[in-house]
Amino acid sequence: MSRKRVLAVVVGAAVLLGGGLIAALVLTTRGSNGSPSTAPTGVAEVAAMLRNVPQHGAMLGSPKAPVTLVEFADPQCPYCGDWERASLPTIVSKYVRPGKVRIVFNGMSFVGPDSETALRTALAAGEQNRLWNVVALLYLNQGTENTGWVTDSLLRGIGKAIPGLDTKKMFASLHSATVTQKLAAAAALAQEAGVNQTPTFAVGPTNKALTLVQINSLEPSGIEPALDAALRE
Amino acid sequence: MTDRRLRVAVVALSTIGAGIAAYLTYAHVTGSPLACATGGCEIVQHSRYSELGGMPVAALGLVGYVALGTTAAFRSDLVRAAGAAFALAGFAVGAYLIYVQVALIDALCQWCLTSDAVLTLLVPVTLLRLRSTA
Repeated sequence: MSRKRVLAVVVGAAVLLGGGLIAALVLTTRGSNGSPSTAPTGVAEVAAMLRNVPQHGAMLGSPKAPVTLVEFADPQCPYCGDWERASLPTIVSKYVRPGKVRIVFNGMSFVGPDSETALRTALAAGEQNRLWNVVALLYLNQGTENTGWVTDSLLRGIGKAIPGLDTKKMFASLHSATVTQKLAAAAALAQEAGVNQTPTFAVGPTNKALTLVQINSLEPSGIEPALDAALRE
Repeated sequence: MTDRRLRVAVVALSTIGAGIAAYLTYAHVTGSPLACATGGCEIVQHSRYSELGGMPVAALGLVGYVALGTTAAFRSDLVRAAGAAFALAGFAVGAYLIYVQVALIDALCQWCLTSDAVLTLLVPVTLLRLRSTA
């Protein structure tokens, strides 16, 4: 066979093999409903904030932390988003990462249907100890209340962007009995605690009665005095 | 350059590439963290582009590198041509994955980029084998 023909065969085979693989990659990375997933913003920031911080379901931080902070929040609530963006990174690095405080996310869905969809996704991710990654990315990509911004495409994009999260498993659990039960339990706890706005926080020594805290700022300085006081107890 | 030297180069480069692909496959399967200077390895590694039909793309790379390395054991025209085709195909897939990292994921994985560099070197080496003499 002449060199020219050999080269033509090589190039042809490479085009078939490489092109086939690329086509397969393009096709399989589209959403199952035919629409590609939306790449969320803030993936690197959230990964850095939560890297090596333990998560157990809805709890962020060491289970042995002396102080517990419960966050009552709705994924659609703009003030909750403001708090997460303005304060959570500082609270995590200053209190959670060193093992002083553990935060429990108590999701509420009073704003509208998008809240429940977002919460179900977060709780399903919580079964893989990735609830906080989902919640943080939802707040960083938060849309206007009840506009349908919690799309399947956004959730798929968020799921795919989280290290170690099995997105298929997460989607499979969205409407499971366990997730529905956790959703109801979170609503019951908020009602029992008398929470009527979000974000609301309850702080106290771990395994003791927690006290609702009214924050006067969405900046870290709003919650820090309560955490410091609980740590001194 | 003699075919012997080119075959050594193919084996050396394929071994480096296979090592990287094996490391990425292991990290993907076990979920263990990656040593990463570029900061985006885990984002890339856990993105939806890191799997093809449920199989880690890195595992496909590992298969490709082993196949490429194996071609160095043979001198026939057919196997040399297959080696060049594998390298060109791998180069094309690597180029697409760089596009994915830059344009779609917005994160760079140093291991993937090193693997792409290895593939880029394998293209001329395997093409030269087509015209070399034993």
